Amino acid sequence: MVRNIVILGGNSHPKLVESVCSSLGLPACNRILGRFECGESRCEIKDSVRGKDVYIIQTGFGGNGAKLNDHFMDLCIMISACKTGSARRVTAVLPLFPYSRQPDLPYTKSGAPLYKADTQSSKKDYTFDSVPPTPGPGLPKSASLANGADITNRLLKASLTNGNGPASPLSNGNGKSNGEAYFPTTNGTTGANGTRENTSPTTQVAHFTTHDDYVNLSVVSAFQARPGYKQWVAQAGTLVANLLTCAGADHVITMDLHDPQVQGFFDVPVDNLYGRPLLQRYIQQNIPNYKDAVIISPDAGGAKRATAIADSMGVDFALIHKERRPTRITERQNASMILVGDVSDRVCILLDDIVDTANTITRAAKLLKKEGATKIYALLTHGVFSGDAVSRINASALDKVVVTNSVPQAEHKAQLGSKLDVLDISPIFAEAIRRVHHGESISVLFNQD
Amino acid sequence: MSAEMANEIKLISGRSHPDLSDKIAKRLGIEVARTISLNYSNQETSFTVGESVRDEDVFVMQSTATGDVNEGLMELLIIISACRTASARRITAVIPNFPYARQDKKDKSRAPISARLVANMLQTAGANHIVTVDLHASQVRSHLRGRDGFFNIPVDNLYAEPSFLRYIRENFDPEDCVIVSPDAGGAKRATSIADHLNTAFALIHKERPRPNVVGRMVLVGSVADKVAILVDDMADTCGTLVKAAAVLKENGAKSVLALVTHGILSGKAIETLNGSVLSALVVTNTVPLGDKVERCPKIRVIDISPTIAEAIRRTHNGESVSYLFTHAPV
Repeated sequence: MVRNIVILGGNSHPKLVESVCSSLGLPACNRILGRFECGESRCEIKDSVRGKDVYIIQTGFGGNGAKLNDHFMDLCIMISACKTGSARRVTAVLPLFPYSRQPDLPYTKSGAPLYKADTQSSKKDYTFDSVPPTPGPGLPKSASLANGADITNRLLKASLTNGNGPASPLSNGNGKSNGEAYFPTTNGTTGANGTRENTSPTTQVAHFTTHDDYVNLSVVSAFQARPGYKQWVAQAGTLVANLLTCAGADHVITMDLHDPQVQGFFDVPVDNLYGRPLLQRYIQQNIPNYKDAVIISPDAGGAKRATAIADSMGVDFALIHKERRPTRITERQNASMILVGDVSDRVCILLDDIVDTANTITRAAKLLKKEGATKIYALLTHGVFSGDAVSRINASALDKVVVTNSVPQAEHKAQLGSKLDVLDISPIFAEAIRRVHHGESISVLFNQD
Repeated sequence: MSAEMANEIKLISGRSHPDLSDKIAKRLGIEVARTISLNYSNQETSFTVGESVRDEDVFVMQSTATGDVNEGLMELLIIISACRTASARRITAVIPNFPYARQDKKDKSRAPISARLVANMLQTAGANHIVTVDLHASQVRSHLRGRDGFFNIPVDNLYAEPSFLRYIRENFDPEDCVIVSPDAGGAKRATSIADHLNTAFALIHKERPRPNVVGRMVLVGSVADKVAILVDDMADTCGTLVKAAAVLKENGAKSVLALVTHGILSGKAIETLNGSVLSALVVTNTVPLGDKVERCPKIRVIDISPTIAEAIRRTHNGESVSYLFTHAPV
């Protein structure tokens, strides 16, 4: 029993709240948290928080009948309610930090976005050959097509293979009979050399696996940047940090931030916990002969994370390098992934911080299989599994996916079955909360093994 | 207009109410800026800017779609923040229906003052100026109106009242009408309309045991043989309005209609309206109505875009906005 501490749970991950509370031996704070009929969040905190040390647990994951942004607003409102309720200190506990991945638009050297939308009609029949599009809004393209003859050719080709003729913009199964190919289609072409007339009726069927917004497909396809302006995507990480501080958070606890720089966005202390000890223990206990395995980072950004584990366990390390160079249209996108290191006849352990659409790890797994890996594990801290991730993983060469319960995993577990192993992070968070409350060092948590 | 003024109006539209944005843009004779908002499959909102806003006078139009308030709010914050990052000279958030305006006081222990939180968030994101219509709570307004409010930045609160006055004058004989406020809080708004029309005024007193539930109602004043016009700022579940209308009918009103600025119409509002004695519900288009107009033949819509467009034009040119408090541009 810890005194003067209040654990307040959001709606995003009730199970984690429960287990953190039972680890700490205290009940969760009584609160009403829901929505008015007009859609505004409604929050009332039933127990006194005056002079207390309040910890609000809300993960950055849309689910349980509400969207990600709803959960985030709930969090801000709860923080603000505790502040006005004279709480001594309010700590936001975000196992998965929302908006921590800062999307960027990959561009070719000529300035055109390197988007590839696949034309698969059904979400279910993913093979691991399918090439998902790079995340980014609605395949827009820069209008400066003066040197973009290459694009024009691609578009013409794409429109021809898709079968010309008027198609309803919203119909997904647009006469795509030859399922063996994935010709990239591009949306919202500018009127360079009359390509728009040729392509627009057919290219609008492009399937955005990384976007939920199918409703405004016409808007998406109509979007084009003003000529001469290179469009860019807003990056909301700083904003989210500022909003939390503005709501009144005095302290933030999170885990495995995608970008360690996010820590610097805050003016308040941020404790970034590591899932590493947990993953490391899993490797040691569950992977036979792990000393002979190879730890792989699926992209250069995660190399540091992966080498840290590889070094501490004395295991070999390899890296997959993603080349974002324009490839020829018929070339598989896998060709642009290069393995640095040797994996033949060995067990591979892919390590990353987050699996979202599972694009990176399934492609990496395919490459590893091709290079002769015997068995492929993927160990990730945050298992978001959005979009088609589940079917993609089921169809992939991955033998085992291991994630933590930083976001609710019950649904994913049901869909992925024995392929998915879930590690419990609630002891780490409970211990972190206890230590923060008592003013003890939490760096000990980083070194445990 | 001095040389330091921003050079151009950039109207950016959120996803909540593109229709209103288009009308405003048309009125201003400009195009809505080329931007696009989407949700990633992990539900994070992404916003792409397709044209330069550097040193421009940016107006971000975002209403709150019923049921999707938080989505709209986050999108608005992300847009504002993006424009600030992109070196906009001034960012004005045009929020016809201010979200969380009703949660403006700590009415219970540890209840959040969400309206203030939203105000703070908008400022944190980088808004320099707010334009809104018929704000529910005067607290939310700023110092500039001579009060201590939630905002430290200027807030222009526009009124739907001139549009309502015109509607009444065009459709009814003011002599024949009684303006009724459905609750004590709206008495000031209703008396103002009654004074302008030089008509009688009545008030309904209500008890409200719980949110979204309406208690007993008592009419103060006479509505016998008159057209009773209920005036309010918000029609949400319409429970209040419909009960008030029934009370007015019981007290001998010839017919009852309601003039409401924000037609939020959530939950079973449409069914409630269809089954009520209200002859018409007149709302402005501050909130996207969707298919509600088709589903409820009683709803009439007043276009508020001329007022908002004029406010944007005047704000941009540094002219006074107060003219709009008493006049509705045609």
